[in-house]
Amino acid sequence: MQVEIGYRPAHSMARVMLQPNEAVVAESGAMVGMSTNVHMQTQSGGLMKGLKRMFGGESFFRNTFTAQGAAGEVLLAQSLPGDMVTLDMTPNGYFIQSSSYVASTPNVNIETKVGGFRSFFAGEGVFILKATAEGPGQCLVGAFGGIQELVCDGNLVIDTGHLVCWDSTLEYSVGKSGAGWIASFLSGEGLVCHFRGQGRIWIQTRNPSEYGTTVGRMLPPAG
Amino acid sequence: MENPQMPGQPMPAQPPPQQQPMPAQPQPQAGPAGGAPIAHEITHGPSFAMLRVDLQPGQTVIAEAGSMVARNQHVDMEVKMNAGRGAGFFAKLKAFFIAMIRKVVGGETFFVNHFSAPQPGSVWVAPTLSGQIAYRRMNGETLVLSSGAYVAHSGDIDLKMKFGGLKSLLMKEGAFMLEISGVGDLWFNSYGGIHAIDVNGTYVVDNGHLVGYEGNLTYTMKSAGGGMMGLVASGEGIVAEFSGQGRVYIQSRNLSSLVSWLTGIMGG
Repeated sequence: MQVEIGYRPAHSMARVMLQPNEAVVAESGAMVGMSTNVHMQTQSGGLMKGLKRMFGGESFFRNTFTAQGAAGEVLLAQSLPGDMVTLDMTPNGYFIQSSSYVASTPNVNIETKVGGFRSFFAGEGVFILKATAEGPGQCLVGAFGGIQELVCDGNLVIDTGHLVCWDSTLEYSVGKSGAGWIASFLSGEGLVCHFRGQGRIWIQTRNPSEYGTTVGRMLPPAG
Repeated sequence: MENPQMPGQPMPAQPPPQQQPMPAQPQPQAGPAGGAPIAHEITHGPSFAMLRVDLQPGQTVIAEAGSMVARNQHVDMEVKMNAGRGAGFFAKLKAFFIAMIRKVVGGETFFVNHFSAPQPGSVWVAPTLSGQIAYRRMNGETLVLSSGAYVAHSGDIDLKMKFGGLKSLLMKEGAFMLEISGVGDLWFNSYGGIHAIDVNGTYVVDNGHLVGYEGNLTYTMKSAGGGMMGLVASGEGIVAEFSGQGRVYIQSRNLSSLVSWLTGIMGG
């Protein structure tokens, strides 16, 4: 599978080029367009798996697109404005913020995990995805705003609302950002993720829930 | 924009560079007032700009509460109320009340985070809304920013919350303005792109697009078309007419327009 990302960074769209009989799995609703020989199949992967995905903040269903008989292409986009990036699968795999997942090669196994984000008011990140694959594969993730890759060399502290994905070689723990709870509350930083070890972290330059809250509270109550 | 005239600066045809052209910066000298400029980089502009500040030991950068994206673990973060440097008890009390009023009125509270590093370290900061971040080295002049435009500062800079007076209540934004003076680094943001206009004489700016202006400019609020008819029919609402010589910063989008557009499609 070959991926070309256009219209970056604000309104990125991925063009996935499939070889004959090659397939790509994508988040429900991500398809923008496709060749007519591409066959779409909707699957939940079983009721429990589907439900678990729903709790994880994704949709119940995922779609598999297969190019039948000849090469074909699928165009994919996320719902929010922002950049996308293709991750080449590594032996250890990645943790992905669930709303950032867009698509992956069929050999990538996506598991929904409790993020260890103990707090129920975290907004994001109560559930995260773990992407692993035997052998080479790719995963497409999307961000709200720009994507910046940071190299963690020891210690980094990142606001949970700005996380997109990270190498699963990194150890992480979620906690308050300041010295105490009052300071953390006043600092406005909410929950942060402390990373230890070596690896890469992709962050998004805007925080979707913060943006939504800010614009939302200027709107009249929905009726 | 109703006025095609752009004195001072042509409208950029290409997306503007990461940073707006700014007045020439002083060369860092041994111990300049306000400290040497802090190493920084603004990336992902103009739509989703993010600021990275690289701190050396002894340097401190102060940023709006809640704007931190990431930091090195060893970068210290301390939350403080912004009452201005060396403010006395009553000034602090006043700052506290203003912070509370702003919380009620719907602005952000005015708590700030102080970031400092015992060893070199970075902090990444981003505003909430989409848009650009601009950098400006302050050299003793005064800049007035609309209160949501503040991102971060360092050096000997004073931030004072100003109530714009009764005339400012006519405007949806800008009831509170932030008066910034001193010597040091300043970063501010916009909703949309930031466009600088060098005013020499007079210039009219839609109030919802105003980001900030240099303190030696004066302005009057008026209706765009003149009179009630102009106010209601032109769709331009209240405008600020600046006079004097100095720089005005505007943003290419207007948050209240987005909100009223969303409100319209949500209705019913």
